Amino acid sequence: MSWAQRIVDLLKAQDIRFIVYVPDMVVWQVLQLMEEDPFFHLVAATREEEALGIASGAYAARKRSAVFMQSSGFGNCLNALGSLCIPYRIPFPMFISLRGELGEFNIAQVALGRAVVPILDSLALQHFAPRTEAELEPMVDGAIRLCYSSRTPVAVLLAPMLTGGKRG
Amino acid sequence: MDRLEATRLLVGKLSNEPVVANLGMATRDLCAAQDRDANFYMWGAMGLASSVGLGVALATPDRKVVVLDGDGSILMNLGSLATIARERPRNLVHVVCDNQQWGETGGQPTHTATGTDLASVARGAGISKVASASTLEELGKVMDRALKEDGPWCVVARIEPDTERPTINRIEPEVNLWRFRRTFE
Repeated sequence: MSWAQRIVDLLKAQDIRFIVYVPDMVVWQVLQLMEEDPFFHLVAATREEEALGIASGAYAARKRSAVFMQSSGFGNCLNALGSLCIPYRIPFPMFISLRGELGEFNIAQVALGRAVVPILDSLALQHFAPRTEAELEPMVDGAIRLCYSSRTPVAVLLAPMLTGGKRG
Repeated sequence: MDRLEATRLLVGKLSNEPVVANLGMATRDLCAAQDRDANFYMWGAMGLASSVGLGVALATPDRKVVVLDGDGSILMNLGSLATIARERPRNLVHVVCDNQQWGETGGQPTHTATGTDLASVARGAGISKVASASTLEELGKVMDRALKEDGPWCVVARIEPDTERPTINRIEPEVNLWRFRRTFE
């Protein structure tokens, strides 16, 4: 089973149907599988900050959601985390595809890609980066449980060692 | 028209519909007009009231959901209008109070003061139910329709520059969210 299919199954097992995203080549591998599955409701946002707003609204109306984005776009949503999700205690898992790592071909992706972890740390948001398929289940399932018990967003970082990344 | 009066008129037409208010004046006015469990007051994330409202609307397709937004806020998140048009939530009523200024920060003129027409932007984004109101009477008529007929609606209300700043009892964001969520049980 592919890493992408495992993530789909783990979301399903936790009853997360509402998916808000801004696509990239890596997260699209997961989103494509969900698009074919009537269990999921996918909403494309124009910008990552908007995606966090939509996911927050869904939680406010008692619906669980997950957000998918790239590390570059993570930079677009910091104010939503700092002034909405954290003070109001709004949980959802954020699946962030990491650029700027092994095999990166575009210098413009490197700085923010490398800054994702320190930014998450500075906001006291927990993050997990499964490197193998064996690590996927405990980390994704555990991150989802943790985010709802702590009522805080939690990040799952999708690194090239797991996904193969984007090669040019 | 006066913004607080417009908010009072609007809230007077509601029963249990959830309302999401943009940070600043919309939140203050909504709380001053009528504090209710189904009010979600934003104190941050400028620009995201329409996105939060969209999330609420998509999660509860059978209840009308009202967003109280401002010109400065929606100008920060015009992409939200395109997403609303794409998702077409029939139950979303997005009210933009346009006073042509950043009211919370000293009254600097926004881009609607220099020619941007938000109703045209909403139409161009693909929202079909777009209405403008410049008097309380017009706003009342439009809201009666918007709360009854399928949307998504975008209602642009032309209001006077801020004069009054109502004093309110602030509710802890966490408590506000908890209270709001209970109305969906």
